Amino acid sequence: MNHIRTTWHHIRRSPFQSLIAIIVMTLSFFVMSIFIFTNTGLSTVLNYFETKPEITLFLKDGLDKATVEGIQKELSNYKNVKEIKYISKDKALEIYKEQNKDNPLLTEMVTASILPASFEVTVSEPAILEEIYQNYSTRTTVIDEIIYQKDVIKSLLNWTKNIRISGIIITVIIGSISLLTIITIIGMKITNRKEEIKISRLLGASKFYVKKPFLLEGLFYGLFGSFFGFIFTFFIILIIRNSVNNFFQPVVFFNINPVFYLEILLIELSVGSILGLFASWIGSNRYIKY
Amino acid sequence: MKIVFDQVNKNFGIIDVLKDISFEIDQGEFVFILGNSGAGKSTLLKLILNQLKPTSGTITVDDIDLVKGSKEEIDSIRRRIGVIFQDYQLIADKSVEENIALALNIVSYPSEKIESRIDQVIKEVNLSSRRYLFPAQLSGGELQRAALARALAIEPQIILADEPTGNLDIENSWNLIKLLKEINKKNNTTIIMTTHNQDIVTSLGKRNIIIEDGEIKKHHTHSHSEK
Repeated sequence: MNHIRTTWHHIRRSPFQSLIAIIVMTLSFFVMSIFIFTNTGLSTVLNYFETKPEITLFLKDGLDKATVEGIQKELSNYKNVKEIKYISKDKALEIYKEQNKDNPLLTEMVTASILPASFEVTVSEPAILEEIYQNYSTRTTVIDEIIYQKDVIKSLLNWTKNIRISGIIITVIIGSISLLTIITIIGMKITNRKEEIKISRLLGASKFYVKKPFLLEGLFYGLFGSFFGFIFTFFIILIIRNSVNNFFQPVVFFNINPVFYLEILLIELSVGSILGLFASWIGSNRYIKY
Repeated sequence: MKIVFDQVNKNFGIIDVLKDISFEIDQGEFVFILGNSGAGKSTLLKLILNQLKPTSGTITVDDIDLVKGSKEEIDSIRRRIGVIFQDYQLIADKSVEENIALALNIVSYPSEKIESRIDQVIKEVNLSSRRYLFPAQLSGGELQRAALARALAIEPQIILADEPTGNLDIENSWNLIKLLKEINKKNNTTIIMTTHNQDIVTSLGKRNIIIEDGEIKKHHTHSHSEK
């Protein structure tokens, strides 16, 4: 209790230094939280595409019925094919109109003739997709275009990887800055309280006894910084969640499970506490020499 | 706690502050350290507190060698010593009460008894009305009494008092001596006090060590029988 009182006394005696420490820590955890949630969302999107192996073959215009049926037959001969769905030009128009029902300008000018017919092939084994792609990509007389999730997954993987790497780099940089800031602030506070530390030591206080309030101070900065960093991110997510989730439909980009947020908060509080304690431990070891 | 100095020397660069000092002080003794300014009286007290290390020789307190002793042992000895520093060494941004509470917390005094202990010592040194004031708001005499209160609060086995009457008027000086004498008698606390005031030394008739130019010139031990 006594050490907590002393810590609070130190914080109150130099409020601006304390404020800076909390702001820097908050910034670190804000950035860290943003990357955690973005990365989690992208992983969910990636997972969605990976678990829905699909390939769409767009057919050339003017193919006769026999050719179309021949393609369908060929496709059904592949192993592990779950479903082959033929989307006629009329059906394609129907889908297009449904997707753009809120925008009449986009639907007015479009007719069934300008939309290609297609086959949507769903497989239970993603490796088959590559086989189908290799086979039909060269048959340009019957196939107009192939949309294969490999590209989507590849692009998503690149995005996730880049965001993860840049997230780690930025978090490490900002984390190091906050670590150095706390070390410096604790050092300044120790210098300001040099006399008090010296007197306490002469009265028989152990080194740990005089260090303890500074360690608690670092812990305080870590705890509050990580808490505020998380809270800011959480409110931003609350604001943008619906629009982002609508964009990624049917994938839920920002999780809506409160347990997930609670887990992240607890992890960040633990990391914040360790970071704050570590910084103040370095600071107090460096500056308390007597 | 027995204090033993054995051929202790202390130099500051080329200046020999203490030369070949040897003496023993038993638990419960009241000893005056006398000498002119710069004779080495304060240095001697700082050596007992391990605030300074001797250049050569050994100092043992409670059979612990202060040079070779571990940090924990030194801290433990310090917690059993109450010090009245010549420059008071009170923490500027803590009130009188908080300064005393700090010393009590350091010696792990039971937290539920701290408040009443502060009441008691503040009354003993007649500083009740200044309890919540900060050092900058106190006079020289009040600072000295606040430092005394902090030293007494921890119920030490040894009290080191560096010129404790230096800033006190005659009446307060005698009150302080009376208080130290009572503590010495009642608690068997060792008192080691540096002073210039020959009247006090003479009237108390206690043991005294006279230091001149860093050397012990006279060592009166007649007070042992008077204890």
